[in-house]
Amino acid sequence: MKPAAFDYFRPSSLEEALEQLAAAGESAKVIAGGQSLGPMLNMRLATPSDLIDLNDLTELAYIREVGDTLEIGALTRHDQIAESKLVQARCPLLAQAAKTIGHYAIRQRGTMGGSLAHADPAAQFPLIATTLNAKIEIVKMGGQRSLPASAFFQSVMATALTPDEIIRCVRFPKAAENEGTSFQLFNRRHGDYAIVAVAATVVLDGDRVSRVRVGLSGVSAIPQVWDDVVRPFAGRMASAAWAAEVALAVRAAVLPEDDPRISAVYRKELTQTLVERALVHALSRAKG
Amino acid sequence: MSPPEFHYIGQHLARKEDYRLLTGHGRYVDDIEVPGALHACFVRSPHAHARIVSIDSEAARQMPGVVAVVTGHELAQWTTRQRMAPPIEGLQAMEMDTLPIDKVRFQGDPVACVIATDRYVAEDAAEQVMVAYEVLPAVSTMWQALEPDSPRVDESLTSNLLSHQHANHGDVEARRREAHRVIESTFSQHRQTHLPIETRGCIAVWDEGRQHLTFHVGTQVPHPYRTTLASRLCLSESQVSVISPDVGGGFGQKIALYREELTVAAVARHLKRPVRWREDRLENLLASAQAREDFCRTRAAVSADGRLLGLELEIIEDFGAYSFYPGNYLARVVAMILTGPYKVQDYSYDVKVVLSNKVGNGPMRAPMAITSWVMEGTMDAIARELELDPVAVRRLNMLQPEDFPYTMATGEVLADITPRETLEGALAAIGYDDFRRRQQQARAQGVYLGLGICTVVESTTYGSRFYKAAGIPGSGHEAAWLRIEPSGAVNASVGLGATGQGYETSLAFAVAEGLGVTPQQVHLHLGHTDIAPYGMGSRGARGGTAGGGTLYLCAQEASVKVLAIGAKLLGLECSLALRLRDGRIEQMTDGEWVATGVGLADVARTAYLDPLALPAGMHPGLEFHRTYEPPPMTYSNSTHLCEVQVDVATGAIRFVRYVVAEDCGTVLSPVVVEGQQHGAIAMGLSGALFEQVYYDEAGQNLSGTLADYLVATACELPHIEILSMHTPNRATPAGIKGMAEGGVMGAIGALTNAVNDALAPFDVVVNQQPLTPMYLRDLLREKSNLTNKA
Amino acid sequence: MSNFEKRPITLTVNGHNHELRVEPRKLLADALREDCRLTGTHVGCEHGVCGACTVLVDGKPVRSCLTYAIQMEGHEVSTIESVAVNATLSPLQQALHEEHGLQCGFCTPGIVMTFEAFLKNKPDPSDEEIRDALSGNLCRCTGYQNIVKAIQKAAEQMRRNPDYVAP
Repeated sequence: MKPAAFDYFRPSSLEEALEQLAAAGESAKVIAGGQSLGPMLNMRLATPSDLIDLNDLTELAYIREVGDTLEIGALTRHDQIAESKLVQARCPLLAQAAKTIGHYAIRQRGTMGGSLAHADPAAQFPLIATTLNAKIEIVKMGGQRSLPASAFFQSVMATALTPDEIIRCVRFPKAAENEGTSFQLFNRRHGDYAIVAVAATVVLDGDRVSRVRVGLSGVSAIPQVWDDVVRPFAGRMASAAWAAEVALAVRAAVLPEDDPRISAVYRKELTQTLVERALVHALSRAKG
Repeated sequence: MSPPEFHYIGQHLARKEDYRLLTGHGRYVDDIEVPGALHACFVRSPHAHARIVSIDSEAARQMPGVVAVVTGHELAQWTTRQRMAPPIEGLQAMEMDTLPIDKVRFQGDPVACVIATDRYVAEDAAEQVMVAYEVLPAVSTMWQALEPDSPRVDESLTSNLLSHQHANHGDVEARRREAHRVIESTFSQHRQTHLPIETRGCIAVWDEGRQHLTFHVGTQVPHPYRTTLASRLCLSESQVSVISPDVGGGFGQKIALYREELTVAAVARHLKRPVRWREDRLENLLASAQAREDFCRTRAAVSADGRLLGLELEIIEDFGAYSFYPGNYLARVVAMILTGPYKVQDYSYDVKVVLSNKVGNGPMRAPMAITSWVMEGTMDAIARELELDPVAVRRLNMLQPEDFPYTMATGEVLADITPRETLEGALAAIGYDDFRRRQQQARAQGVYLGLGICTVVESTTYGSRFYKAAGIPGSGHEAAWLRIEPSGAVNASVGLGATGQGYETSLAFAVAEGLGVTPQQVHLHLGHTDIAPYGMGSRGARGGTAGGGTLYLCAQEASVKVLAIGAKLLGLECSLALRLRDGRIEQMTDGEWVATGVGLADVARTAYLDPLALPAGMHPGLEFHRTYEPPPMTYSNSTHLCEVQVDVATGAIRFVRYVVAEDCGTVLSPVVVEGQQHGAIAMGLSGALFEQVYYDEAGQNLSGTLADYLVATACELPHIEILSMHTPNRATPAGIKGMAEGGVMGAIGALTNAVNDALAPFDVVVNQQPLTPMYLRDLLREKSNLTNKA
Repeated sequence: MSNFEKRPITLTVNGHNHELRVEPRKLLADALREDCRLTGTHVGCEHGVCGACTVLVDGKPVRSCLTYAIQMEGHEVSTIESVAVNATLSPLQQALHEEHGLQCGFCTPGIVMTFEAFLKNKPDPSDEEIRDALSGNLCRCTGYQNIVKAIQKAAEQMRRNPDYVAP
């Protein structure tokens, strides 16, 4: 399977990239890690006439603390995020999720920006970004804007990005004191996209749960965070029984699609099981 | 009976073929450089069933770099149709055009071939070939295929029932009447595909001057392939050489001469330019032979204590749309060997093979894979129904050592197998009683462990008498040659086709043992039809017995002549007191073997360069040729025990332990055999858990990429513990039995039975594969809903 | 206007520069095999799943079917042909040989390249870590068991002999 022909540009700066993107128009695609776009090109599911290679924009590959956020450049590779001591300390949910993405070789190339822009409904980073309501910094020639994750993902593999925009970086809120996080996914095989994945955070105040957050992928077209459903459970005693109750409530709320091979009821059951396990795990991590 | 002593056979030796494969210097078809070769790309049907109304390749032919676009019409002029019509009762004959002319029968059916200067250009051009179709209703399941008014996949046949065979042995009806219980079970195996990591491919080089075709192709059966290729091209076999280089896996997919390959050969001859084709993975998933997809039903008549009185089997196989292989024979073997290690003479079977609008089937490592699952699943069903221990039921019905040789109801003769021993060996190794205790304790904690037992009796070798009795044309013999060079180097060849199973090593042992040299001193030459003798190739686990056996016998013949020459050189009357060891002649002197100073090189030099010094009447040279007709069938046996834990909340299955006790006869190379055991079990487990070719109602293949067709990775497979319990076959050279498919059979049965054992507290029985988490949850949920309603 | 034509690029492979003319869409895997005549890198799926095409780019394992040759200018590509030095197998290659960690050999170069890199970063891996890294390489012949064993053996060998330099 060979791609359809394309022209190739290799900008050496962000400015140059944005100029090229603006000039090329709708028939262009940017390529970063290529782990998702490559298969689409090779199978001719995507046939851009211009490919703009962002891999020389090394200024976009970084992880740094900025105030109370962790700022990750769009070109940062999954493996760098998974292995980063800074991410493990300041945003453990992100590190937990990063190491489950695909396989070792894929993580060497795949990027944060690419993952969010591609917006596969089962992908890890869109779920984490949504759960933590990360801020996505977007640039185009002559302009920039910031979108919260809640406004960024619009549908299956569709985001708010216009054809002349790329992601510059993503800001994740740092984990709080007494915050425990857990990322749980269920898939058929190691490294596959999740059927359902859960990102959960809890903050403890003594032995009460002062804050709880649950994000899910696999039960809707875009990842969603279920604040309204879980908020009533804040303020209660942390326990396995509490986790089970929250999980049941989330299960009742989700409306996944039915599919001949994976039924809606299966996804609901899986949601309940994973939410419960995630919350129990998050609680144990909060207690330290 | 103690096994005979071998000096070389059975030694631990790392493989001889590894160096080139490890360093990237292997030579697979696509690695072979042929200057000026053009590239082929096939235009394929997007529909499962449609008439071809027109093909317009004008735009494609105009593109720069495009040399030709051919369709079924041209191929019909350059090649003959395929006729698959073995004289078997109940089997309809099928014919097949080289490329379809009238209609396409599966999504992916090739309708045109673009030839261009490179594959990239060829794919661009293929997109420009405009084919107009008239879509027809598709047959997408075996049940639909059996309906009297279903669309006909092949209009020259009277129905979609390609083959129907049945037999009645003993009196199953009487046994049913007498029985305490008649227990019915069903087993539904899903469609799979072989998925060698190297896809299909070939290079056709036509020599216009010599009017000769050299065809590079990865094939398991170089000579039969060549015969068919020549015939289809209306060439003499003298005009075709088939060269099979290193092959990245075959598993049964690389046996038939496929239409794409024949097209490439015909086009190369027509254009008088070399043409090559490398199938891409999407094509491989879409259009290479597929396998399995069978449904079995058993009815077991049993006594109150669990004895099997009579057994009835019904099989339906969904064969796809074309006969790349004969339609009857895959399912037929299941029926013939089903009863396996059990004593039952009242047995009937009914085998139906139907056509559908899917790719045609081919044998996939253990085409009879479903057999042991069906038989052992039936034993488990008996145990469940009668509330008996599954091991007790097996022990009650299993053939005992004193029962052999045992003639099965179907006429197959079981001899030199040890199912009872492997059953007991495996149970002891896993600690059966201890497992039951752990299982009880775990259940009390809400943890569901299960143990599955599957004893396999694996048919191997398939001699000519088997084919004759089954009405299948063709021979089961094998051919070998051996040549000792003037320097004493040993070269050998046999008609097998290597696809990764280590023949250069294992077969070297057969020669080493027969002749008296080290395996390192033996060099195997395989795959080139100008070099290898005419043999039947590699399939049905025949490599060991047929290939190894022939080489062993050939080497023994060589040994006789070598020692006779040695005796002459040593001035002895005869060679009785001589042996060849590590290429040196030794003489028995005063009860000890003593070096004589004469070696193979001395003997060879004499034979080639000083023939007058040979014994009187002996011909010069040291070249030997031998053929060997093995027994109609040989058998290996094994017992697989699989311990799993099922997460009833998600339906996920986790392996706890996997033990297999195997008797596969004399083992030429223990290293190679262990690798085959691992590989076969891995393929069985991967298939039972993940792999599914999924066609929807319209016949659209929804498993067209490796993201959809799932194969086990290193994280999904268990660590396999092997207990070797080998005993020789007394009717074959060196006691070889053959192996490498039994693992698939055992894995499928052991895993499924394990899941049933784990889910026993829920009164849920799994009877289809793949064992997806969704399927397990469906069963549990349905049961729980019923219970809640009750 | 988009320019799809072949253009000159320099690929640095195994320490040598190759001057090639390729279309931008040409896969790195194809350029290595056809233009550089290094056929040890195998193509198994062209969509990044099987891992047979894995090479090293600047020391990191990369699927050469998901990379376009033109992207590799200025980078160092290492293929399987660079691993054995003067016909001496690397500890990993030797271990795969000793433990029967290959059968048909088609997936083998991809596994060797993945683990030459992996073992450099993780010299003392657990079985679980090995299987996690190996999960991106499909093997249809071995069931992976002997490959895992071989990698453990190689890791141990390399810990004992720190002079060994991986490519």
